[in-house]
Amino acid sequence: MTRDALAVWRQRFTEREEWRLTEHFFRALFDFGFLSDLAADSFKRVLIGSVGGFIAFGLLLTRAFMVKYAMLLGTGTPERYRRALLGDDMLIIGLPMLLVAFVTLLVSHSLFPDERDFRILGPLPVRRFVVFRAKLTALLMFAGLFTAAAHVSLLPLTLLTSLNPWGEHNVLLRLIAWGIASVAGSAFAVLSITAVVGALVLALSRSQLQSLSTFMRSMVLGLLVVCLPLISHLPTLGGALSSRAPWMLFVPPAWFLGFQRTLQGLADSWLVQLGVVGLLATLLAATVVGVTYLVLFRQFERLMLRPAPTSAPWWRADRLPVRSRVSPAFEGTYRFTVKTIGRSQLHQGVLVGLSACGIGLATIFLTSARLTTSATFVPFVLMFACGVGARAALALPIEYRANWIFQVTEDRIARREQLRAVDRLVTLYVIGVPLVAAVPLLWMAYGTNALLPFAVVPVVGLVFVHAVLLDWRRIPFTCSYLPGKRFIGHSALIGVAACVLFTLTSGGFVRLAMVDETQGIVVVASLLLIGYWLRERRLLNWTRTPLMFEDEFPDQTIQLQL
Amino acid sequence: MLEARGLTKRYGGFLALDRVDFQVRRGEILGYLGPNGSGKSTTVNTVVGLIDPSGGSLWMDGSPISDDPIGYKRRIGYVPEEPHLYTHLTAIEYLMLVGRLRGLSEQTLAQKIPALLTLLLLWDSRYATMAAYSKGMRQRVLFAAALMHNPDLLVLDEPFSGLDVTASLLFRTLLRMFAAGDRMVLFSTHRFDMVEKLCSRVVILSRGRVAAEHDMEEFRSQQSRSLEEVFVKTTGQDDFTPVARQILDLMQP
Repeated sequence: MTRDALAVWRQRFTEREEWRLTEHFFRALFDFGFLSDLAADSFKRVLIGSVGGFIAFGLLLTRAFMVKYAMLLGTGTPERYRRALLGDDMLIIGLPMLLVAFVTLLVSHSLFPDERDFRILGPLPVRRFVVFRAKLTALLMFAGLFTAAAHVSLLPLTLLTSLNPWGEHNVLLRLIAWGIASVAGSAFAVLSITAVVGALVLALSRSQLQSLSTFMRSMVLGLLVVCLPLISHLPTLGGALSSRAPWMLFVPPAWFLGFQRTLQGLADSWLVQLGVVGLLATLLAATVVGVTYLVLFRQFERLMLRPAPTSAPWWRADRLPVRSRVSPAFEGTYRFTVKTIGRSQLHQGVLVGLSACGIGLATIFLTSARLTTSATFVPFVLMFACGVGARAALALPIEYRANWIFQVTEDRIARREQLRAVDRLVTLYVIGVPLVAAVPLLWMAYGTNALLPFAVVPVVGLVFVHAVLLDWRRIPFTCSYLPGKRFIGHSALIGVAACVLFTLTSGGFVRLAMVDETQGIVVVASLLLIGYWLRERRLLNWTRTPLMFEDEFPDQTIQLQL
Repeated sequence: MLEARGLTKRYGGFLALDRVDFQVRRGEILGYLGPNGSGKSTTVNTVVGLIDPSGGSLWMDGSPISDDPIGYKRRIGYVPEEPHLYTHLTAIEYLMLVGRLRGLSEQTLAQKIPALLTLLLLWDSRYATMAAYSKGMRQRVLFAAALMHNPDLLVLDEPFSGLDVTASLLFRTLLRMFAAGDRMVLFSTHRFDMVEKLCSRVVILSRGRVAAEHDMEEFRSQQSRSLEEVFVKTTGQDDFTPVARQILDLMQP
């Protein structure tokens, strides 16, 4: 009887319009708009499978910390344990915060009801209140899924760090306090990103919103990627926290550690202060999100149906052409590429995200190696990441079916010019970003002797661009994209091996240039010659090979001859 | 003159076009009619060079286009059925991209684009990206892009969908004057009224084959039936009353 009643209740609940809408919004959070149905399904599986990945990662982390805690517990005094625990607790709180921040940023296009919802749901007999509540519920479910997975995965580690022979704390109380404080930290991460997106939605016009929110999301993504290596340093900050270093006020995981210790009743005035900062920041972000939802709810039509702008935004120059010295095909492709990177969230995100991986790796170098070693290798780590990021961003399509204009205007001579524009852009980016990092680093490491090593960086870049564009014969963003053409592990292995090989070889060239001036000149001259020869060869090939508009699998299927 | 000789297109085992012959003469607008799946879009895609035919050939002014496909493409303008555009660009940016791909000089673009946008009532929306445009506005941008390089042959695939009455009237007049200037228009559509009002000849396609071809002048004087009636008979369309009746029945609670 009870089971029947439950089944009836469940059926009634799932048949309610609000549940259907929540389900729709929840599913939409997994849809990024650029993948085919098949690829989107595959991506959903990857995303859900990653939950299992977090749990495996948590167990691995626990195993790694076992050695550390065996040593700490063997020292006989609780002081070192206490200090280590402060740092490790920040890591345990910081990891879920970073993860949910990433995930929230990934779905930041769907955080609020938008124009599409307005146009599709508006004519249907659904109350606006229901739409907004369903959207918010879907968002909470989505963030909750990843928050829960992250916390379950870190539970064994928290338990490990809780056990001690000195009775420093009640283990159960500590686990409950950690759960509350860490979930609050994750909520802060979700709310702060949602608040930034909400503030932009309210403050900007529709045309400004596209460019500025794309830029903002890319910057936040870059920041989060750079935070990855920084978060691995959190366990070393226990000393800074216990000595009340004022800059800890700018480390969000420290806020929620303060909150956790306050809940445990173990906080001194400094930790209470940090906890209060954390709660106030969460409250502020929640208020902005709440106000945004409220304003959107009350003035949905006005905000969603803003008139088209009648004047150019201040940051854009007039778009009418001026006299140009380059060929029209070059100019057209160059500008199309720059504008797309500037306006498409996906493409900019891929470019910035992958490049930021390079910045993250560079940060690890800078914080853990000597300055001369860092100066030798950091520019090339950056170069590799920028190259991979540029290629990946240019390969992803935008409005795939609009590529007909490139197909009907394809021409042997124009093709060379179009691909030369791609070459120019990739060269500028792949050499430019590392150069910006190399100048101060090499100067600080080698002083006036840095001139020749400094010249090595751009010439290595010239050769590297050819590796990036080795089999490239596409106009950026116009070719279809087949994700997962190779096994992910295979691709990752090749990528890491290539990065290590490239960085070590290029760093070796810098070392050669440092050791002997003549050797340095020979290296630079040889690389210049190789770069020039490769470039000319590729440009010639471009006139002979047609453009590619359909992505291909790298290898033909091999049939077994049985 | 554009001429299709035995144009055939096969998608695997499916024959989309089966030895299609037609001509678009200078000074005329050729209507290209057919039900869904009859091969209209395949013909249009073949004519503009987006797909290669499996058999047969296309000839332009007495030469096969395979002799100089690039030169041929320079002479055509194309308005696709769906407004597939790069909607993250503004109309000016898109027209500049198309102009540059067609090899037009910067001065020409600076002169033509503002004038075209003004005449097509798009100038006031020039700062908005095309994502904010209605279907009709996007269609007007496509017309501007197709005409900007002064083509010899205009290939239109259902070009009036989404256009308001004023724009439709403007483009009808424009197409007549365009063709009158010793140029050609291939006009693929579902709309009989447009073909009757605009075209000099009509080719009716059914199941990948040319089912009928009429000179509109003769048709108007000789036929007592409307083009729609001829189309229904030629393409073997059934009486739709039973289907309509079934739909209405389904609507009952």
